[in-house]
Amino acid sequence: MPERTVAVASSVGLHARPASLFCQAVARIGVPVLLTTSSGRQVNAASILGVLSLGVGPGESVTLEAEGDGAENALDELVALLSVDLDLE
Amino acid sequence: MARLEGPLAELIDSRSIRLNEHAVDRFDAVRRAGQALVEVGAVAEPYIDAMIEREGSVSTFVGEGFAFPHATRAASADVDHDALVVLRFPEGVDWDGETVFVCIGIAARGRGYIGLLSRLATLLLDPMRADALRSATAPAEVYALLG
Repeated sequence: MPERTVAVASSVGLHARPASLFCQAVARIGVPVLLTTSSGRQVNAASILGVLSLGVGPGESVTLEAEGDGAENALDELVALLSVDLDLE
Repeated sequence: MARLEGPLAELIDSRSIRLNEHAVDRFDAVRRAGQALVEVGAVAEPYIDAMIEREGSVSTFVGEGFAFPHATRAASADVDHDALVVLRFPEGVDWDGETVFVCIGIAARGRGYIGLLSRLATLLLDPMRADALRSATAPAEVYALLG
């Protein structure tokens, strides 16, 4: 299963606005994606509650895994999203 | 920060648990949550508009019939102390195509949001707890569920 590891660039981490935007993107892409923290906690990346529960801080690395058609493209897009500060107004 | 380590229930004033609310739309619901935060002295009045603005920028819907309305970090100066308010809408509120039954309004300063959101989300990932909160009719139930 293709996977990528990326450091969360948002200055407040992956919560609130950044988490919502990220989960919306996962849902829109429509490919199942798993998000795993460096400590090994794993959630469905389309679940806002799941992603919020991780409390991922700024600069912390997460690993994304996707499967099926379009998995590589989905990961490219999501990694690009996490690599910018989604909390900027 | 020390308060963040205690039970979430300690952040909820009993006057701000409102279990039979009605709202015409999500912005009305957010305004009511903001008003509840103002009434318990957790935030100053301008925080309400900041919550509305934040809602318009990106929905605060988090799934399972819940929304966590809050303001942007820019409004931190309007926060007197960290607090949660719980508003239940038995009829549901249309939330940009989703339906919300419980709004948990959040006031927190600076990085306090991360811990609060994470702890609330962890609690609500438990389907039985989430269901119980969606159907709570007494403040004691809310305290027990978020304790």
